[in-house]
Amino acid sequence: MSAPRILLLPLAIAATAALLAGCTATPEPAAEPISGGTLVYATGDAEPGCLDPHVGGNYPQALISTQYIESLVSKNADGEIIPWLATEWTESADGLTWDFTLRDDVTFTDGTAFDADAVKTNIEHLKDPNTASSTGYLAVGKIDGIDAVAANQVRFTLSAPDSALLESLSQPWVGIQSPTALERDQATNCESPIGTGPFIVTEWVKQQSITLERNENYNSAPDDAEHSGPALLDSLEWRFIPDAATRYAALQSGDVDVIDNAQPNNISSAESDPATAELNAPRPGASNRLELNSGKAPFDDERVREAFIRAVDVSPGIDSLFFGTAERSYSVLSSVEPDGVSMPDAFTVDPDAANALLDDAGWDMIDSDGYRTKDGVRLTLDFPISTNQSIPAEQSLFEQIQASAKDVGFEVNLKPTDLSSWYGALFTNEYNLVSAPYTKVGPDVLRILYHSDSIIPAPSGYYANLAQLSDPALDEILTTASQTSDAAERAALYEEAQSIIIDGYYVLPLYDQQNHYLYSTSVEGFRALPTVSAPTFYDAWLND
Amino acid sequence: MTDPSDTTAERLSTRPAARLRSLAWVARRIGGGLFVLWMVATVIFFALRLIPGDPVDAILGGPGSQASTEAVAHIRADYGLDQPLIVQYFLAMAKLAMADFGTSYALKIAVAPYVLTQLWSTLVLTIASLVVAWILAVALTLVTSGRGGPARAVGSGLELLAAAVPHFWLASLLIIVLSNTLHWLPPISVPGPLGLILPVLTLALPLTGFLGQLMRESLANAYEQPFVVSARARGESEWGVRFRHVLRHAALPGISLSGWAFGSLLSGAVVVETIFARPGLGRTLLSAVSIRDIPVVTAVALLSALTFIIVTVATDAIDRIVDPRVATQ
Repeated sequence: MSAPRILLLPLAIAATAALLAGCTATPEPAAEPISGGTLVYATGDAEPGCLDPHVGGNYPQALISTQYIESLVSKNADGEIIPWLATEWTESADGLTWDFTLRDDVTFTDGTAFDADAVKTNIEHLKDPNTASSTGYLAVGKIDGIDAVAANQVRFTLSAPDSALLESLSQPWVGIQSPTALERDQATNCESPIGTGPFIVTEWVKQQSITLERNENYNSAPDDAEHSGPALLDSLEWRFIPDAATRYAALQSGDVDVIDNAQPNNISSAESDPATAELNAPRPGASNRLELNSGKAPFDDERVREAFIRAVDVSPGIDSLFFGTAERSYSVLSSVEPDGVSMPDAFTVDPDAANALLDDAGWDMIDSDGYRTKDGVRLTLDFPISTNQSIPAEQSLFEQIQASAKDVGFEVNLKPTDLSSWYGALFTNEYNLVSAPYTKVGPDVLRILYHSDSIIPAPSGYYANLAQLSDPALDEILTTASQTSDAAERAALYEEAQSIIIDGYYVLPLYDQQNHYLYSTSVEGFRALPTVSAPTFYDAWLND
Repeated sequence: MTDPSDTTAERLSTRPAARLRSLAWVARRIGGGLFVLWMVATVIFFALRLIPGDPVDAILGGPGSQASTEAVAHIRADYGLDQPLIVQYFLAMAKLAMADFGTSYALKIAVAPYVLTQLWSTLVLTIASLVVAWILAVALTLVTSGRGGPARAVGSGLELLAAAVPHFWLASLLIIVLSNTLHWLPPISVPGPLGLILPVLTLALPLTGFLGQLMRESLANAYEQPFVVSARARGESEWGVRFRHVLRHAALPGISLSGWAFGSLLSGAVVVETIFARPGLGRTLLSAVSIRDIPVVTAVALLSALTFIIVTVATDAIDRIVDPRVATQ
């Protein structure tokens, strides 16, 4: 860890705080909040298969379940964990026992009481193979035993200390549902999940919309909400509009009030539209970054990895292709992660240095097409691209990367495919470069992405360590950090981990995971919940 | 087929022979249809397993799942995905033969009722588009198909343009003009007839171009026929000639083409339903393919094939009725 980076740390934190403040600030209400009305939200994310976020556990489920299911803890705009369904908690000295005190005045919308037994049932539901949980299952992985000590006291016994436990529990995929409802068959619970949230799912017309009505008995808003008691809106209509241009047109025509997955060109034109406002809420966890697969040639040679990073200049492309809506990242972590460290000096562009490095690494012949070769093999990089995840602007950026890498003799093969084929290419190790966003609350995402254990595939074939970074020293730091509850000590460990990852030239950060909402200025009090940046409409009202 | 000299016998035998011919025709079409359905199911079954991606992912909420070993093993056993491929194939075909379409991997609900509701939405869209395309094509050709003149050139030019326009481009253009600029219509397919207008126009306009071009040619031919001269000689007005005599002939190739057109509308529905956020088979298929929801893909493919077969048989049958010469050929 070098001195300039230590100096950069406070700067990064200040920048993060400023950004957080910027993205969560809502316009000052022009008048007293008005109760009533229906807000129409249009999502460009895939329609969830199941509205119970325990099942599977993807971002589309998190977006909608935030409206009707709540977690034990939440996170405020400063990145601090705050009480929600749990009011307080204590960790034992050895970090293996956690006691949570629960609210005793909350009921699920089916009338079932929220208590310690409900929490126990939910954690067990996540761990039950029949639930087929993925994200939530990982989040509660270290919880070995759950005891309902009293009606409002629950004790978790862990297999190992887990400094990420609270962050994990804050995620929507670990939300608490009615134990009575969970007893129903999965298909029914997927259709009409029951939580304690401000809205209730009442109807789901597939491929079209989900209707949510206000929970009149709601009393469990987190501390950072603007008001208490039931939500202001009568109802929410959650529409599925997959086409980005149509979604923006529907916002302009007034058919919908809020849209997600707004594209850079639309965000840019909305800036000049007084009837439209923007909410930029980057997702937590990792930044959007290119992973350099160090598990096979040519990126198993650090010089070739460094040459690639020196060769490609992504900043001008990000500025122009994203119309200034995406800020260049120099961090493995999202800018909303307080422990994220920005290291711009590590990513200076220097094609001459890149050429020298490649010559040094033995890639010193040039073939007739202008690409470097070594022992008759061309310096080729396979780059599978998921067209479901990479928006058109990002795909254009990858084309620019392809062009600038060619200048020093890399042949980059862009391979756009659908999501399933993309994962197929990753699982069979047929890639040298890949951009794979990963959302999780907290810096423990570094352990998931870069611990050598994560190279071992899950039963489905999935593995998260796509850089195939295998470094015992890094493993050690990440494991220690995941068991260190002292905030300062933990932050120092994560900074060290980030240095190892970046100094080894395993990643090329691009920008935060883009998560832009556009909304009509008649919508007041709309914000994104700081946990995974899903929208929350609890405080929202319509100022018509 | 019958002895031309024995006219009495011919009269007596024609009807039963024709009926037999019709029955054989129907039987052939049904047999052929079943064979096509079987082939569709087979191709879909193997194609979805040849492309990368594991169906278990769909069941686990999408690719990239990190579910436990137990959960994955449980799902494989539950859905029979642990069986050898050929066993899975025969089990799947046996179930399909009994009209059992199974449960959606992603939605965890019975496929048949779900896909049927989506079919209804797509049928409304495609049939409305077909009707609108016919009306527009007939109107355009009748109005502009004089003998030469600038009207004809304009009509023909419009048809060519319409036929050449891709659905996604036309959809965007219609949204920009009719929705964002003139504010006449919603850009998304809201429930009710108002939300049907833009999607139907998007599908109908290119088809209007095709139908129009086709009818214009047959109209031109029909104008050359002697019966047109006799009609004119009888003092029939120009519009009378067009409506009562020429149109009937000109429509024949259009009817035959409608079977094909319906198929193209079904594939156009994938684009149109996605752009206008309208429920339907096309959008269902798109999302099901991308997550390898095999039961849904199979059901949509079979249903589309079946619909296409029925429409083709129907147009052939109409051809036989309108023009009896077809049946005896």
